[in-house]
Amino acid sequence: MKTVGKMIGSRLSQLFIMIFVLSFFTFLLMKITPGDPIRSILKVDDVSVTTKKEEQLKKEYGFDEPILKQYGDWIINVAQFDLGESLISKKPVSELILERLPATLALAIGGLTVLFLISIPLGVISSLYENRWPDYISRWIALVGASIPSFWLGLLLMYFFSLKLQWLPMMGRGTFAHFILPSFTLGMAMAPMYISLLRERLITILQSPYIEAAKARGISKRRIVFFHALRGSLIPLVTMFGLSLGSLLGGLSVIEILFSWPGMGELIVQAVTQRDYPLIQGFIIVIGFLIVLTNLLVDLLYMVINPQIQQGKEARV
Amino acid sequence: MKESLLSIQNLSIRMIDDHQILLQNINLAVNKGEMVALIGESGSGKSLTARTVQGLLASNMMVTGHVFYQNNNLLSMGKRNHHQLLGSEIGSVFQDYRGSFTPFIKVGKQMVEAIRSHFSINKKEARELSLHVLEEIHLNSKQIFHSYPFQLSGGQVQRVAIGLALALKPKLLICDEITTALDVMSGETVLDAIEKVRKETGCAVLFITHDLVQAYKRTDRIYVMQKGKIVEEGSPVQIRCEHKHPYTKKLCSCLLSLPGEDHLQIIQGAQSV
Amino acid sequence: MTNKQNLSMLLGIVLASILASIFLLGSTFGTQDPFYINMANRLSSSSAPHWLGTDHMGRDIFARMVYGAKLTIGLGILIILLAMCIGIPIGLLSGYIGGKMDAFFMRVIDGILAFPDFILAIAIAGILGPSLTNIVIAIVLVKWIVYARVIRGLVLEEKQKEFVLASRLSYSSTFHTIRLHIIPQIFSEIVVMAAIDVGKIILLISSFSYIGIGAQAPLPEWGAMLNEGRTFIQVHPSLMVYPGIAILLTVLCCNLLGDGLKGYFQARKRRNLQ
Repeated sequence: MKTVGKMIGSRLSQLFIMIFVLSFFTFLLMKITPGDPIRSILKVDDVSVTTKKEEQLKKEYGFDEPILKQYGDWIINVAQFDLGESLISKKPVSELILERLPATLALAIGGLTVLFLISIPLGVISSLYENRWPDYISRWIALVGASIPSFWLGLLLMYFFSLKLQWLPMMGRGTFAHFILPSFTLGMAMAPMYISLLRERLITILQSPYIEAAKARGISKRRIVFFHALRGSLIPLVTMFGLSLGSLLGGLSVIEILFSWPGMGELIVQAVTQRDYPLIQGFIIVIGFLIVLTNLLVDLLYMVINPQIQQGKEARV
Repeated sequence: MKESLLSIQNLSIRMIDDHQILLQNINLAVNKGEMVALIGESGSGKSLTARTVQGLLASNMMVTGHVFYQNNNLLSMGKRNHHQLLGSEIGSVFQDYRGSFTPFIKVGKQMVEAIRSHFSINKKEARELSLHVLEEIHLNSKQIFHSYPFQLSGGQVQRVAIGLALALKPKLLICDEITTALDVMSGETVLDAIEKVRKETGCAVLFITHDLVQAYKRTDRIYVMQKGKIVEEGSPVQIRCEHKHPYTKKLCSCLLSLPGEDHLQIIQGAQSV
Repeated sequence: MTNKQNLSMLLGIVLASILASIFLLGSTFGTQDPFYINMANRLSSSSAPHWLGTDHMGRDIFARMVYGAKLTIGLGILIILLAMCIGIPIGLLSGYIGGKMDAFFMRVIDGILAFPDFILAIAIAGILGPSLTNIVIAIVLVKWIVYARVIRGLVLEEKQKEFVLASRLSYSSTFHTIRLHIIPQIFSEIVVMAAIDVGKIILLISSFSYIGIGAQAPLPEWGAMLNEGRTFIQVHPSLMVYPGIAILLTVLCCNLLGDGLKGYFQARKRRNLQ
């Protein structure tokens, strides 16, 4: 289909712009920053710092070349899927990131599941009982939820469910039980935004003519809400998901550290505290790639939910 | 004496917050098998009257009076019971054809859903019935069945909506300005479709329109509405030739601009203005 | 609807006054030093000299909370102001001048905006080196983009409107048009956005401090306090209760005020239209 090709094209160009701008920007920032990565390598190696050794390492990593040359070399390597190697562990960056990817993806899926389990019922209840007490309760949940720091929420959950009730393990990865608290924290941290959006959309949609037509046709209220109305409100929700994917990944890193979940977020924070530049750069590339890929998937999903897009017509809802 | 199907008595509606009066003492009756027009300009309260019967009023309105459907007062029977009458007893077709069906769901699926909400038959039978209905109104049944609403023309959608409404075998069909959003030709096909099915099933129609020509040509009785009140009632000929209320006169005088009608009568009507 | 939004505003103001008076009174009349270590009196419960008890190093929790309030809220406001100082002029110019420069600029901005701000800020902070100052720089570098984007959109919208067209016809300068017509129109939007963003930024700063790349050890930023108290979650849970509640209430207050201001401006707009 023509539209699909177009879509992939525009997403790819977005990928290139994003990676180019961000990598150049961070590269530049690295070079003008006073701190010196060579020193941190030497510190890790626990060798007494000598000027000679420093010079030698600089040459080895190519840090004595002009900035643009360094950037050019790096970009060429990236184009060949070579992200360089970590300054600290000396392992290839791509390997380091890829071995963390499954854990992060698992947590993201768990979080999304919880997100839907929370936000769909609350959004639906809110819209059905607009301006009555169930609505107020769910709106307050959304408001407080948007104000609560996710790591603190995680700490509270940890305190009650692991320490007090001893139902779930506190941290680490392994069994399904380990998976529950981090997923809940992530899902609950993201839910408020979705609850409000779903509520607003459903209220608008429940007043639309096609819902009245379905009512007048004698279709049960339950079917109207879950079959007719919810479907229409999924469209902005999916868009929202594409847009908020970044904050999902951001939120993930805090939660990974909180629960000692061995994912990418934990890796990046390690890289940051050790100023492991190649790892930070590689991380940006991988995240950028993941985001564009997911946005592409969201676009495709969008076409499934809203058949009007396939026809090249604008969505009317 | 004909048997009354729908009888609206002293119906008044006003807004709860600012007490604005929307409907005032509406009295209206539709007998079994009868086609009754409710005519008036936009904002005169025609649709609101219909929505009272359909149970689609907003919650910020205060309703007084009685709306009897086969001797049951719709206003006092409770929402759930009222809802159960919709579709199977009282069918509806609306003005905005784009709003007749949910846009993201295929027409066929929605037809099957509606049919199965009222008849206990399996999916396959409901599907057969839907296709049959579409053929009855001379549509390409297979193609329509597998289309999304926005892939069809306005006239097609309205015909499907009517076909579906009548397939549920209601005794009363409420048509709220169903041809307004359509061009004249599709409007006529839609009205022909109603006529055809009505003859077969004998269901009564409450036909809401602002078009006097349509009302005159197609209905048994006409109610004229203005500013929330019913100002005149009678057979099409009575309304056309023996009207009393100034608003009806104004309506009829507008017919002058239509060529090909019976000139004598029109001039007679116009002179009395 | 208006009633409800005024309720948000009312609750927001009440909450803000309560928080402000606690923190102001605390910093005026509090006698404890937030940095004074007294290992003999560690992890004590609340008492007359230490209202909320002491932490794992015997420091007064209340004094640290009050100090942290100044730090966290002050930084939140500072970051917003800095981001606005960069973002608003750029957004105004880009939107007002339009053309190729605007198109190019927006492509770049969209590219960056698609990227998670949290991770970008982490990366920038990582490059600059983990410290509170660098986190502030990182968040400003990420946040101004959002302002530039929104302002540009608003300018384009306002530009279409008749009165700006009229003033263009009268040959007034670009600067003049922006100042007289566009700024007053977008003022309300910016105020609402800023109110909600202060809350978001407080969440960001405390998250960074919590994961150890923001405020560093002795500094009583709320997130850093939670990080330090984390180890004592079992023996002395109140260490993690107070800073968390402080963050929650402060951000809630920002959200309520933002919501209330939105309602206020909407109501005013409606009144002006009538």
